[in-house]
Amino acid sequence: MDPKSERPSVPVGTTDLELLRKFEPVVYYTTGEQVYPAPVEPYVADASLWEHHPDGHDELLVKHGQMSMEKLIEPRPAAFGSIRYLRFIEPLNLGEAAQVLRDQAALRRQIGEFFHPGIGRLARGGFLPRLADGLFSLSFLLRGHLPAADMAAAELDYNTIREKHPEHVYYGRVTHQAGWTILQYWFFYYSNPWRSGFHGVNDHESDWEMITLYLYEEDGQLMPEWAAYASHDFRGDDLRRRWDDQSDLTIENGHPVAHAGAGSHSSYFRKGEYQAEVNPPLPGWLAGLVKAWDKFWTETLGQPAVNAFHVPFVDYARGDGLRIGPDGVQAWLPVLIDETTPWVSQFRGLWGLFAKDPISGENAPAGPMYNRDGSPRGSWYDPLGFAGLDKEPPPPQAQSMLEQDCREIMQRQAVLERSIPEKAEALQALGIKAKGMEGNPHLAKQYAALEKAIGTLGTEVRALRRESSENTALLQGLTRRLERIQAGVRDNPQAQIHNPAVPDDPSEALRFDRAAETWAAVSLSLLLFVIAGLIFFAPHYIWAGLAVILMLFVTAESILRGAFVQTVGRITLILAMLASVILVIHFWKWIILVALLVMGVSLMVQRLRELTG
Amino acid sequence: MPRKKNSDKKKSPMAVSVIAVAIVALFLLRLVQVYAPLIRHNFFRGGINGALFNGLSLTPLGSDLFSASSYLALSLAGIFVLIGFLRLRRWSWVLLMAWTGISLVISLVDYFYSHANFAVMASNVIIAFALNIPEVQRIFGIRKDIDGPKV
Repeated sequence: MDPKSERPSVPVGTTDLELLRKFEPVVYYTTGEQVYPAPVEPYVADASLWEHHPDGHDELLVKHGQMSMEKLIEPRPAAFGSIRYLRFIEPLNLGEAAQVLRDQAALRRQIGEFFHPGIGRLARGGFLPRLADGLFSLSFLLRGHLPAADMAAAELDYNTIREKHPEHVYYGRVTHQAGWTILQYWFFYYSNPWRSGFHGVNDHESDWEMITLYLYEEDGQLMPEWAAYASHDFRGDDLRRRWDDQSDLTIENGHPVAHAGAGSHSSYFRKGEYQAEVNPPLPGWLAGLVKAWDKFWTETLGQPAVNAFHVPFVDYARGDGLRIGPDGVQAWLPVLIDETTPWVSQFRGLWGLFAKDPISGENAPAGPMYNRDGSPRGSWYDPLGFAGLDKEPPPPQAQSMLEQDCREIMQRQAVLERSIPEKAEALQALGIKAKGMEGNPHLAKQYAALEKAIGTLGTEVRALRRESSENTALLQGLTRRLERIQAGVRDNPQAQIHNPAVPDDPSEALRFDRAAETWAAVSLSLLLFVIAGLIFFAPHYIWAGLAVILMLFVTAESILRGAFVQTVGRITLILAMLASVILVIHFWKWIILVALLVMGVSLMVQRLRELTG
Repeated sequence: MPRKKNSDKKKSPMAVSVIAVAIVALFLLRLVQVYAPLIRHNFFRGGINGALFNGLSLTPLGSDLFSASSYLALSLAGIFVLIGFLRLRRWSWVLLMAWTGISLVISLVDYFYSHANFAVMASNVIIAFALNIPEVQRIFGIRKDIDGPKV
């Protein structure tokens, strides 16, 4: 198919704003979503500005009610290690928090939208990941985190502001790199209530999300070629889809479609429920042990990979809620930004509360141009590298670059075809000369020098022959590709994807979904009760009892998940390994003895066979 | 004249024979464990000649009788599984793996809390590893992948 056919285009020279409007995305949200893209100004006006100092104390710079965009970017010297941040929700006391949660429930009833998780994330992971999840939940007692009431208050404030500012804003940026025209659509949300609202990984004040389109120029027209959506767990090539990839990318009247995760606002190409995974940071020695164990388990024992340390979370991108985009009830209001936009380039702080979470999940993000630590954001300064597109020329350039490559290789081959026979002949001449010197002790010095020259020339000839051979193979490959391009044959649009984002099929995940869901909800607590009972009633058998109970729980889980056979196999294998260690400890001398005897007999049999023919 | 082999018949890997031998060895070892406590308590001459329970806990006689009957059940189950295993039935692989797992748990509990039977433990280890061999799993229909040995 001609890549240009059925593809929207705009003439080169179109203004940036028109360009952004022409290809602006359609975003579908999940029913129950709490906040939608909104302008930054009312948010900033409703926030306070703070500085977290390296000694641990927080200083109020601008009070709530006195903030403005000018005050946001006002230069203020700060010590190394300090963090500037906005605070959207002021601290709530217990009574206020309770009131806010009641108000949020009333608001939900008024809006008439409720989120139903369906088969929860807990039932989708196995027993061990759930155990890790329990520990992850407990980690919030130690880590800085946002109370659920803060997210509720953010939703209430957002709805109040929305009455005055109902527009859905995207901040659009147009930039040009290496022949590509890049359109970035940045979306600002007042909160990220993924954990408190949708059983996700984290909550934080404010959220910045982004969609990028990559256009190329041909015949005076700009045409879209790739779309990249910022998403958890995916990097580089995995982030982008080609415009004609109909299996993944939906186009509505020339506009790419994205499905935003509920609360997380992460963008997906297809609607569905996605398993997001969090791998808790492990100490170096433990991570090394886990890696070694994984290698032994998969490569030596040939078992399927199991990551017991990851915590599964579901990102609900159902697309059954609000639709924002062209040709609909809710449209976008575009606002152009670039490096000269003051709040974009001059505020390097966080756009919400710095929750002092050491792994940053609960800290608010920085703006479009910066990371949380104030360093430049890769997706801003290197939008091509962000989606792994830095190695791809725009389609029209690809053909000419390939032709140029072929020409250069052919020229080099012509040179090699001349020089290799010349050098080979010279090498033979040296060889003949050396032969003539042999048997003449008085020519020893010249002979040694000649041998050295023969060695050098021989190496050079071999290298040239290898280069020629490699060039032939390379030229064949490039020529074939050139012929395909000239014939209009396109690559597989998903060839660059290594880890595709595939939504769950909950009906396939579980055998007895209701029972599995109930079991998933209660099993961890049940395990703790049984352990308590064991400590009280049978303290002498605590370790054996613990191991047996854990195995029983895992087995029960496997029956519900339809994975009994694999689970029994795995448990038995682990027990066998433990028993092997015990046997080795007790009988290592005997094991060495038997091994030596077996090796001796085997060697003897082989040698005797040789002897007897 | 050489006899023609039936090429359609599933060929058992060597490991299947190893497992079968190990099951028989285990059966014999378990029989010793069945009879030793019974002989110790003169069960064959005088039957059950004492109380089995002391309140909620087992008496030494009760404990030994319980162990002996458990081992007997395991041994009998082993013979049943062996028949299915030699006929290359999928259920027998699953049962044998589960049976080996239970047997290993008992062996390990014995090791940590009373007297270890290393011969039983070693037999179980051999069976567990042999059952895990990809060829064995494929022949019993446990592993469905097709990346078998390249010819």
